[in-house]
Amino acid sequence: MASTSSSPGPSRLPRQAAHLNQPPPAPSTSGDSESIVPPPPAEKGPDVGLLKELAKSALVESLNDIQGAKTLILEPALAGPLGLVTEVALLKHQAVDKMFWLEPGPLNVNARNVVWLCRPKMEFMTIIAEQIRAQQKNPSSSGPLMYTILLVPRATELCRKVLEDQGVAGDVTISEFKLEFIPMEDDLLSLEMEDVARDVFLHGDDTPIYYSSLALMTFQRAFGLFPRILGKGDGAKKLATLLQRHHTSGSSQYREIEPSEQVDSLIVLDRSIDWVTPMCTQLTYEGMLDEFVGINNSHIEIDPALIDPSQAPPAPSPSTSNLASTPITKKRKHHLSSQKDKLFMDIRDLNFAVVGMRLSKVARRLEGDYGGVKNLKSVSQMKEFVGKLGGLQSEQQSLRLHTGLTELLMPITRTDEFNKNLEAQQNLVAGYDSQAQLPTLEDLMYQQVPWQTVIRSVILMSLTTGGIKPKNLESFKRDFLQVYGYHHLPLLIALQDLNLLVRSPPTNPQPFPSLRKALRLIVDDINDAAPNDISYVYSGYAPLSIRLVQCVTQKNVILSGTVSGDEDGGLGKQRVLPKAHPIVGWKGFEDVLASIPGATVDVRQRGDQTRREPTVPSDDRTVTTVVFFLGGCTYTEIAALRWMSKQTKGRRFLIATTGIINGNSLVESFGDKAPVPLKQESS
Amino acid sequence: MSLTQSPTATWDTIQNVFYRKEEVYTMSWRIPDLSDYIVTAAKNGGPIAMIRDERKVMLLGKHTPGKPKIYIYASSGLLLNTLTWDLSPPVLLHFTSQYLIVLSDEGVYRVYDLSNPTGYRQYTLGSEVSEVGVVEATGWEEGLVVLTGSLGWFEVRGWNGGRPTPLSPSGLTEPPTSWTLISPDQSPTGHVQILFSTASTIITLDALERIDQRVSRGPFAHIRVSPNGRFLALVTATGSLWVVSSDFGRNLSEVDIAALSEGEGLPEKVEWCGDNAVVLAWGGRVVVVGPAGESLRYDYPPAAHLVGELDGLRVISSTTCDFMQKVPDPSLAVFSPGSSHPAAILYDALDHFERKSPKADESIRSIRPELANAVDTCVEAAGREFEVTWQRRLLKAAQFGRAFMDLYNPSDFVGMAQTLKVLNAVRFFEIGIPITYDQYSSSSPTLLISHLVSRNLHLLALRISQHLGLRPDPVLKHWAMAKISRSSSKGVDPSDRGAGDDEAICQAIVDKFEREGEKGVSYAEIAKKAWEAGRTRLATMLLDHEPRAAEQVPLLLQMKEDKIALTKAVDSGDTDLVYQVLLHLRSSLSPGDFFHLLDDSISPNLRPAVNLLQMYARQADRGLLRDFYYQDDRRTESATLEMEEAAQAEDGTERIEHLRQAAKYFSESKDRVFEAKMTEDAQRLLTLQQTYERELDNKFTFSGLSVDQFIHRLLIEGFAKRAERVRSDWKVPDKRWWWIKLKALAELRDWEGLEGFAKSKKSPIGYEPFVTHLLSLNPPQPTHAANYVARCDLKSRPDLYVRCGDWGKAAESAKERGDKARLEQLQRTAPNGIAQREVNEVIKRVGK
Repeated sequence: MASTSSSPGPSRLPRQAAHLNQPPPAPSTSGDSESIVPPPPAEKGPDVGLLKELAKSALVESLNDIQGAKTLILEPALAGPLGLVTEVALLKHQAVDKMFWLEPGPLNVNARNVVWLCRPKMEFMTIIAEQIRAQQKNPSSSGPLMYTILLVPRATELCRKVLEDQGVAGDVTISEFKLEFIPMEDDLLSLEMEDVARDVFLHGDDTPIYYSSLALMTFQRAFGLFPRILGKGDGAKKLATLLQRHHTSGSSQYREIEPSEQVDSLIVLDRSIDWVTPMCTQLTYEGMLDEFVGINNSHIEIDPALIDPSQAPPAPSPSTSNLASTPITKKRKHHLSSQKDKLFMDIRDLNFAVVGMRLSKVARRLEGDYGGVKNLKSVSQMKEFVGKLGGLQSEQQSLRLHTGLTELLMPITRTDEFNKNLEAQQNLVAGYDSQAQLPTLEDLMYQQVPWQTVIRSVILMSLTTGGIKPKNLESFKRDFLQVYGYHHLPLLIALQDLNLLVRSPPTNPQPFPSLRKALRLIVDDINDAAPNDISYVYSGYAPLSIRLVQCVTQKNVILSGTVSGDEDGGLGKQRVLPKAHPIVGWKGFEDVLASIPGATVDVRQRGDQTRREPTVPSDDRTVTTVVFFLGGCTYTEIAALRWMSKQTKGRRFLIATTGIINGNSLVESFGDKAPVPLKQESS
Repeated sequence: MSLTQSPTATWDTIQNVFYRKEEVYTMSWRIPDLSDYIVTAAKNGGPIAMIRDERKVMLLGKHTPGKPKIYIYASSGLLLNTLTWDLSPPVLLHFTSQYLIVLSDEGVYRVYDLSNPTGYRQYTLGSEVSEVGVVEATGWEEGLVVLTGSLGWFEVRGWNGGRPTPLSPSGLTEPPTSWTLISPDQSPTGHVQILFSTASTIITLDALERIDQRVSRGPFAHIRVSPNGRFLALVTATGSLWVVSSDFGRNLSEVDIAALSEGEGLPEKVEWCGDNAVVLAWGGRVVVVGPAGESLRYDYPPAAHLVGELDGLRVISSTTCDFMQKVPDPSLAVFSPGSSHPAAILYDALDHFERKSPKADESIRSIRPELANAVDTCVEAAGREFEVTWQRRLLKAAQFGRAFMDLYNPSDFVGMAQTLKVLNAVRFFEIGIPITYDQYSSSSPTLLISHLVSRNLHLLALRISQHLGLRPDPVLKHWAMAKISRSSSKGVDPSDRGAGDDEAICQAIVDKFEREGEKGVSYAEIAKKAWEAGRTRLATMLLDHEPRAAEQVPLLLQMKEDKIALTKAVDSGDTDLVYQVLLHLRSSLSPGDFFHLLDDSISPNLRPAVNLLQMYARQADRGLLRDFYYQDDRRTESATLEMEEAAQAEDGTERIEHLRQAAKYFSESKDRVFEAKMTEDAQRLLTLQQTYERELDNKFTFSGLSVDQFIHRLLIEGFAKRAERVRSDWKVPDKRWWWIKLKALAELRDWEGLEGFAKSKKSPIGYEPFVTHLLSLNPPQPTHAANYVARCDLKSRPDLYVRCGDWGKAAESAKERGDKARLEQLQRTAPNGIAQREVNEVIKRVGK
C-alpha cells in the first residue's frame, strides 16, 4: 500500500501488453500414456488473463480508496462474475469485514464505510437511497457512516439523478468499478450481463451495445486495434460504428491504439440474425448441462456427493426406495473450468451421445493405471507410480463428477418428452414435414411439459416455416394460455414483436428456409464421435450463426464441406491441417448476407501513423479472430467455434460474448415476471 | 553575474558540505515588506500569491483602501493578476499545479483556474464547519485539511466540491501548538494524516485513528516534513531543533538554536532545504542549520518568504528571488576545488585544448577508461547550472570528451540540450519560472506547459510542446478560448454583435487547428466559451466542427437547442447521455411539449430515446409512462402495462380491475381482438376462481391457477361438477381434458375411476399415455399400466409390456403379430428367472 502512485484506472493499461506473451501456466503433470489433453496450440493467442488482472486490480484500487473497515453490499447477480475475477479472501485484505446481499430492507452495519457494489440500475439506487435514509434516522453509535456506491462497469448520470431525486446524492460518493470482459476460459470472454437480448432487441435499449463497445475498446488497448470489423445485424452495425467512432474521435487513449499484430479481425454477430440456434435443444455435454442442470457464471449447482463421496448421504437400502422423500441435501456450487479439470476440457464440447463412451474409456485407463501397482518391480518404478498418484486422484475425482452428471442427464434423454421434442425440432430445422410437427408439440403441451420447451419449439416452427397458419397459431396460443396461465400473454405479444412467433404469410421476411441450402445448414452424414462438421453440436444442424463465421473464415466449408477445398482431407492419422485463408470479408456470400435482415458490416481500421498490410496468417504464425456475440451465445456455438479452431492452421478463434444463454433463459427474459401470489382473504 | 565569476563563487560550506545560493531574479515589484502579507508560492518555481494580512496594524496610506485584493506575481516579481476578494478574511492561500485555492475563515473556498481567474468555482465546507469557523488550513496537491474552531480536523478531497469528511476526534481542548499535514503519497497508510503537537507529545491523526507518538519533549512550535517525507524537523518551545525520522524511530540531530536566535526567541518560519538541511527564519534573517549546529546566515531585510522545493529552497524577499540548495553531486564532481573526478579533468582538458596546451591530450589519456562517466557527469552538471555560460561550457566539455570515445549513446546529451533550451526559455525573467532541472524531471513537461498556458503564453507553450513532441491540443484549446474572450471584451458594435467577426474568428480557429494538425481539440469546449461570452452564433458555428456528439450535448442543452441536443445524444450511442438529456428536458418542458418532441411519427430518428424513456418510466415513473402511451395511442403497450401490474397486484379485486382495463385497451385496437378475448377470459377465470373459493368457504385456493391447473385441482379435491363446468366454459378440447383427468385420477390412485374413464369412450389421446403415465409415477404402477396395453396399438404392445415388466404378455403380443424376430430378441434380453421362462413358454407354443 505504501506506494500507491494512484493513477486513474484506464491509463494503467500497459500499451506494450500486446507484446507480453507470457508463457502458459505450467502444464499439469498427468504423465498418462493416452493423452486426453489435446496438444496445446502451437502459439498462444492474446493472453486474456491480463483482462482478469485488470479487473482484479481495479477492484482492489476502488476498495483501497475507501479508508477503513467496510461493509460490502453486493448485488446478487454480480456475485458470480465477481467470483471469477477475485476471491472473497482477497476482499478481506481490503478491509471488507462483512458482506451482505443488496436487497430491500434496513441495513445492519457497524463498520465505518458502507460500500454498495452493483450495476447502474434504477431499482438499486432506490433501495440504496432508502437504506441511507433509514440509517441516518438512527445514527450508529460509532459516528457517521461513509457511503460509497461502486457502479459496474461505469457510473451513470441516470443513477446520480435518481439519487438526487431521492435526496441522498450529497451523502454518498459514487465511483465505478470497471468490470468488463471476464476470461471464463483461455478462449472465452464474457461480459456476464443478463438479458441483453431482451434489452436490445425487444426494448430497444442500446445500453448493452455501448458497454460492449467500451469493453472491446479496452480489449483493443490491451491487444491492438482490430484491423477489420465484420458483422451482421443492426446491433452489430451500431457496435461497429461505435468502435470506429471511439477510435477516430474518442479520447486520446483510444485514438492512439495501433493495429494489432495478433488479432486479424473482429466478427460481430447480433443475436437477432439467428434465433433458430438458441431455440434448438443443445446436444453437447456442456450445452446439455446448461439446459437441464443450469450453468451460471461457469458454476453448476450439484449434489455435494458428486464432488466428495464422503459427503454422500447414508446410502439408502435398495428396498426403501419407494419412500418418495429423498433427503434434501444442500446443493453445492462447482466451478466448471478446463484449467482445473482436464477431463472436462476433453468432453465438454462432445456430442452427448459419445460422452458415456469417452468416460468409460477413461475409467478403464484409470483402472489400468491403478492396477499398475501390482506390476511394480523396482523401487524406482514405485517412485514413479507414487508421483503419478496425485494426478490420478484428481482425474478420478473429475471422472466421478462427470460420470455422476452424465447419469443425471441420461434418463432425461430417454424420456418420451425429450425425444419427441427433439425429433420435432430436427424435422423443423430440416424442413421435413413441418406442418405435422405442431400436433406433436401440442401433445407435449397437453402433458404440461415445461412451457419453455413448448414455446421454443413452436418458435422454431414459426422461424423455419416462415410463420404458422393464422388459425393454428391462434388455437395454439389459446391452449398455451389456458395450460400455462394467462400471464404469458405479454410474452406472446413480445414474441410477435420480435418476429419469433408470427402468422403466415409473414409481414417481415423469414430467411431461414432459403438459408438451409445456401449455407448447407443441414448435414446428414454426421459422425458424432469423429465430427467432420460443426453440425455435430446439434446432431445434424449447423448453427446458422457459426456458418456465418465460416462465410468469413472458412469459405470452403460451406461450398464443399471440407476445410481445404479438396475432397476428403485424408482420414489418415497424420492429417495435415490446411492453412487458414486470410480474411477477405464476406466475399462470395454477399447474396446470402443480403437475404438476412439487418445491416452487413465490413470495415477496416487503421492506426494513427503507420499503414500496415492486413495481417495474413503465415506459415509459422497463428492469428486470432475474435467473434463477438451481441445478445449472448450458447455453449453449442462455443463448441462449434472451438472445433473450427482445430481444423485449420494459423487461425484460432477467441469467443467474446455479452453472456451465455440458452433457449430457456432467452424466452423467459422476453416475458414478464411471474405473478405474485394473491393475498388470501381471511377465511 | 559576470562571466568571470566562477560557479563556485556562490558556494559555502556547512561541516564540509557545500551549499550554494544563487540569486535568480531581482524582483521587479515594489513591495517594501512581505510580512504585511499572507504569502504563498507554488512549487517548482511557480507563481506567488499574496493578500494583505488584515491582522497586522498598518500605516494609513500604505495600502489602498477598499476590498482586499489577491495579487499574483511571477517568481520574478512580475504582476500577473489581481483578484478581488469579497469574502471573509482568508486563512489559506494554496497553490496546486493547476489551481489557486483561497479559503475564508468561514469555510468558503474558491478554486481559481490560474488561466482564467475571473471564472472561479466556489464551494463551502458545510454548515458544520462554517458554524465554528476555520482556524487554520493546509493544502496538498489534491485536497486540503482544515482545523475548525471546535478543534476538529476535516478533510476535503479533490477540487470539485467534495464533501468534507471529519478525521478522528482530536481530543484537544485548546489549539495545538503546531500541526502539519502528511499527504497520502507520503503517509504510510496512503491516506491523509495529521501530526499535531499538544502538551509534550505529538499525535498522529487520520480518518480512522488517533495515535499518541509518546514523545516527551514537546510542546513543539513547528513541525515540518521533509520533501521526501522521511524526516521531521521539530522546534521545541525550549528552543532546540530536533530532526527525527518520520516514524520517530531514529534521532538524527539535535541543535540548540538559542545561539542562532540572537535573542529573538523561536524562529518564525521553519522550512527544509531539500532533504538535507533545515532553514530557520527570523524576519529577514535566514539561517541554514546543519546537523551539528553549524550554520550559514543570510539577510533579507525586512522579511523573507521561504518556499520549500524538492531539491532546495526558494527565498523570496522584497528585492530578490534566491535559490538555495546543497550543491548537486555532478556539479560537485566538476567544480569542487581540487576535484580529481574524471569529469573535472575532462572539463580542464577542454580548457587546455582551447589554449592549445598539450596537457589536454595528457588529461584525456589519464581518464580514458572513465571517459563515459566523465561525459555523463558533465551533461548532468550542465543541467544543474542556472547560468547559460556554464551550461554551454559543460556541454562543450561533454562534446569534447565524446570525440574520444568509440561508442557513445547521444540521447542523454541531446535530451539535456533540449531540456535546457526549455528551462532557459521559461527562466527568462519576463516569464519568471525558476524551475530547476530536478523539479522539471520530477513533475512533467505537461504541467509546465499548462502553467505557461495559464499565463496566456501560448506561443511559447506551443513551441515547447512541439519541441518536446507533445500534443499541442491543450495549448490550442486555451488559445482559442482566450482569443474568443479577448475579441468579445473588445466591445464590438452592439448593433451587429460581431457578425462578420464570428466568421473570421471561427475561421482563424479552425485554420490554426488544421495547420497544427490537431484532431483532438474539443470544439465543444471552445464553443461553450463563445456561448458564455454571449456569442451564440459563433458557438453554433464552432459546434459544427465538433466530431464527438457527446461533447456537443451539454452546450446544446444550455443553448436550449433541445431537439438537436437529443438527436446528437442519440447519435452518440451513449445511452446515459440520452438519459441525461431526457431527464433534463422532462424537468424543463411541459408534458405536452415533452411528448411532442418525442413523437416518433415526426422524428423517427428519436426512436431510441423513446425506448429509453420507456425503460426509465417503467421503473421510476409509471404515471409518465401511462400518459405517454395514452397520448401516443399505444393501446397494446397500455394493455401490457396493465397486464404487468395485474401480475404484481396482490389483491384479487385489484388484479381483476387491471385485467379489465387491459381488455379494454386491447379491444380499442383492431389488431388485438384475440388478446382482448384472452384478457377477458383471464379476468373471468379469476372471478370464477374467487367465486368457487367463497362457495367453498375459502378452504381451497384456486386464484392464480391456469385453466388446466384449476380443473386438475378441482378434480383432485373432488369437485367433478365444477371441473366439468370449467371445461365447458373454456371449451377445453377433448385431448387436453383427457390428459388432465388421466393425471388427476392417477394422482388420486383412483384405479377404478381411471378404468371407468378409459372405458367411457374411445380415448382421443390413445391409451399409450395411460401406460406411460402410470409408469412414470413415483412409485411406478406397472400392474395397473399393463391393464391398458391391450388397448394400445398392436405394434407397440411388446415394448409397452416389457416396460410394465410383463415379459410373458410381451412375448404373447409379439406372437400375435407373428413377429419372430421380436420374439427372439425378447428371449435374448429377458432377465433370468420367471421372465425368461415366460418368454420361452410362448416361443415353445409358437414352435408347435
